[in-house]
Amino acid sequence: MDGLIRNSETINKLLSRYGVKFGIYKNGVFKEQLFPFDPVPRIIKYDEFLYLEKGLTQRVNALNMFLSDVYGSKQIIKDGVIPEEFVYSASGFLPPCDGVMPSKNIYSHISGIDLVQSKDDNWYILEDNLRVPSGASYSMIARELQRRSTPETFRQNSVIDNRNYADLLKEVMDNVNTGGINVILSPGRYNAAYFEHSYLAEKTGAVLTTGNDIVCENDNLYYIDYNGKKQRIGAVYRRISDEYLDPMTFNEESVIGIPHIFEAYKKGNVALINAPGNGVADDKGIYYFVPKMIKYYLGEDSILKNAPTYLPYYEDDMKYVLDKFDSLVIKDVAEAGGYGVVFGSSLTKEKKADFIELLKKEPRRFIAQEVIDFYDLDILGDDGSLVPRKAGLRAFVLTGRSTKVWPSGLTRFSRNPDSFIVNSSQGGGFKDIWVLSR
Amino acid sequence: MIVIKNLKFNYKLQAQYSAPIEHHNFSVMFLPASNNRQEITSLNIDIKGCDKYNLTTDNFGNGKCYGKIAEPHDFFDICICGTAKTGIDIYEEYTSDPMQYSLLKCHTKLTYPYEKLTEYHKSLELDKLSGPYDKALHIMHTIYYTFKYLPGATSIHETAEEALALGEGVCQDYAHIMVSLLRMEGIAARYVVGMIPGDGASHAWAEALCNGYWYGFDPTNNKLVNDEYIRVSCGRDSSDCAVIRGTFRGIVAQKQSEAVTVEEII
Repeated sequence: MDGLIRNSETINKLLSRYGVKFGIYKNGVFKEQLFPFDPVPRIIKYDEFLYLEKGLTQRVNALNMFLSDVYGSKQIIKDGVIPEEFVYSASGFLPPCDGVMPSKNIYSHISGIDLVQSKDDNWYILEDNLRVPSGASYSMIARELQRRSTPETFRQNSVIDNRNYADLLKEVMDNVNTGGINVILSPGRYNAAYFEHSYLAEKTGAVLTTGNDIVCENDNLYYIDYNGKKQRIGAVYRRISDEYLDPMTFNEESVIGIPHIFEAYKKGNVALINAPGNGVADDKGIYYFVPKMIKYYLGEDSILKNAPTYLPYYEDDMKYVLDKFDSLVIKDVAEAGGYGVVFGSSLTKEKKADFIELLKKEPRRFIAQEVIDFYDLDILGDDGSLVPRKAGLRAFVLTGRSTKVWPSGLTRFSRNPDSFIVNSSQGGGFKDIWVLSR
Repeated sequence: MIVIKNLKFNYKLQAQYSAPIEHHNFSVMFLPASNNRQEITSLNIDIKGCDKYNLTTDNFGNGKCYGKIAEPHDFFDICICGTAKTGIDIYEEYTSDPMQYSLLKCHTKLTYPYEKLTEYHKSLELDKLSGPYDKALHIMHTIYYTFKYLPGATSIHETAEEALALGEGVCQDYAHIMVSLLRMEGIAARYVVGMIPGDGASHAWAEALCNGYWYGFDPTNNKLVNDEYIRVSCGRDSSDCAVIRGTFRGIVAQKQSEAVTVEEII
């Protein structure tokens, strides 16, 4: 442990050399910022991990069943468990995906589930990320470098080895592969997570590529290598969002997508990881219904709790939200990455009045949640002492032949002591997670 | 309606580029299909400079042909022609499971009602009418008499709200406004693209789901869709029915024109 703290600066330097950076666009200018690594690990005991594993597996299985249902027979809507308008007016519901079944009926192969631990030690799900969740590579390389710096630490502390992520990911790709090579499709060098794309390609043996090297012919997808040789592609782990995936079906302006790829996918000639259209299940409005989904599809009570959430769409909830406005956090369901989050108490009188008017006008657009008092984690302060910061946990849940939880994850913390928002795009840092084998 | 008309149709789309383009991927959605009201008895697709293309159907049942022209070219010409028997029935389609169309009860960016549409909707006093068919009829009449047909008043990007505020527009705007009003009544509604005689261009109207039956209403002409109409495609709004999509390499200016003829075969 002391060794890790001692070597923290070196590790951060190496991370920066390896290009572990987070690119963001601010006012139209691309800037790369370091993603600072904090050497004090988050520790999760074995029992606790088993509990999380059970809860996460249950949740992701139910979410996959929901996606299959909602783009298939829509039984959950017909049975009145989820109001139809919550599904169909979600921006993530993509009509072109209606009636299209992906390879092996898996929609969310890689799920990034964000949790927080409250001061009373309960875990709460903050949100599900079922589209293109990123972050696994940061923990992987940080562990790799720490192992090099103090190899004995991990054995002495009985930390479960987390080097299996690449194997899990490869199994996920191979499982749905329709015949051909695996590729990782990146928008390119200027993407926020380009480091991750290249790192995962290297570790899984998949080919790292951009749309320029892929052609779709007669509803089959081919990779064209530097020799001009054509190789059939069976699975695409695509790191570009649905909207840019295929200009012939989605956003016509997209220059990073692959024309006609959606037709190849529709005909079952290639697997897309994750499936397009998943946004309907990780919509903040649908989040409210996940415990109901678990009950509906699995007949079980949900093991992991949602943060207490209210839907202004329902009259009773609206009343509660207006009553308790100052103590709640209100989220715009269409936004992500820590944007569109408003703490009731932080608004001035006029802004509050404006906001409430908007809320009454478009109740479907918002959810309200109790502010959870996060359990603080210590980080190493500038003067070498430990200081508490708010931190969240992103768990990676992979669905191949079965659903597995990676015994690791990404812990992000806010560097600003007063902030509750821990998204990387808002300038946070990250930590390693030690899942103990005892 | 059991009158059967035999119609001959011809749809021509031409794009001209100011310089040669290459690696041109295209997708064209203008393939009429048979339904209760029409039977497509022949259909021919001709794309100049492209002898190989694929066919597919989207989630709304719209046919599309798509492909790639790799070689440099400075024009794109597609001609879709055929014959149809129309007027076989008065509705497009029947469903015993109206819930499968719930998606079409939800607004899109183009149909979302703000102040003007909300006001207009209120002024229609639709709650005095019973049943979706009567409501749709009343909506069609009212739009026809209050909205002004004026080519060039709107571009293709206006929303229903914007067009209504302007008070004038073309068939696309009429159809969007009608679709929006139907959805405000909780009636599933489709935006439809098709052809009618004499227009010279493609036409657009609305369809409403009334007690399991899809009926066509043409607010631009204040007419129920009859044996003069050939239905081509449908969707939530005009963006689902875009006739042509394309990506290519080359920085060029492009000009596009379309020509439609529909004639009765006697």
